[in-house]
Amino acid sequence: MSQSPARVVDVRGPRFAAWVTSAVLAVVLLTGSGPLVAVQAVVFAVGAAAGLRHAPYAVLFRTLVAPRLGPAREREPEAPLRFAQLVGFVFAAVGAAGYLLGAPLLGAVATGLALVAALLNAATGFCLGCELYLTVRRVRPARTT
Amino acid sequence: MSGTGVLVLVAALVLTAAAAWWVRARDGRVRAAEEETVGGPTAVLEGLGVRPGDADLTVVQFSTAFCGPCRTTRARLQHLESTRPGLAYVHVDAESHLDAVRELGVRRTPTLFYLDRRGRLLGRSSGAPRPDELTAVVDAHTGAPS
Repeated sequence: MSQSPARVVDVRGPRFAAWVTSAVLAVVLLTGSGPLVAVQAVVFAVGAAAGLRHAPYAVLFRTLVAPRLGPAREREPEAPLRFAQLVGFVFAAVGAAGYLLGAPLLGAVATGLALVAALLNAATGFCLGCELYLTVRRVRPARTT
Repeated sequence: MSGTGVLVLVAALVLTAAAAWWVRARDGRVRAAEEETVGGPTAVLEGLGVRPGDADLTVVQFSTAFCGPCRTTRARLQHLESTRPGLAYVHVDAESHLDAVRELGVRRTPTLFYLDRRGRLLGRSSGAPRPDELTAVVDAHTGAPS
């Protein structure tokens, strides 16, 4: 994974995105909608692959919310957030597969776990996906760059 | 409306509340070190080039690139180092030192180790410490006015 440490984002963007994600995932659980969690998986995938600049909720934040809030006072590096989007994508993808392939319990549990991570991030700023990074690195010895 | 979905939603909300409480209670709290043994944490840290003898208090921080709070914590400690002569700050990239990470049992970042001048491990903490608590710990061990 390439990283450019200089890239930073307004901290309020990811918090906003986490609230939107939480709302979407809650609706998924209430309606059992496979297509909706699939859409959320795509949203995560775009954020992870193309960067937060192009992540749909970040675009929403920039165009609709940020202009009403005033200038950014705090910025944070993008790399941890992108990794977290990847973790979110894995859970949402499993959730979508569960719902769409006739295993609604699996769909609900995977969606529920993604919701915990998103809501925790929205409410406290704690980034579960970021924390998992070292855990993953500890078991995967060789560096591939 | 899906019955299972409602149940999972409620479970997720409870789990989130519990996790938020746990994070708040534990993040950045300094835990006392266990009994020091030969080849223990201090030896591992010295292997990374840490020299506790140089300062009253040496704080070693393990970080990864994918860690937002690490940056904030690093900036705070660098600021404290510039204003507290008794404090030495060492930054370690966890990914480049995975052996040490395993030996020290570092599971989260940032993880901080606090060493006194004799190389005794005073304690460790995981997660970003709150600014006032970090300052209090540093001042308590560097003899600076708090």
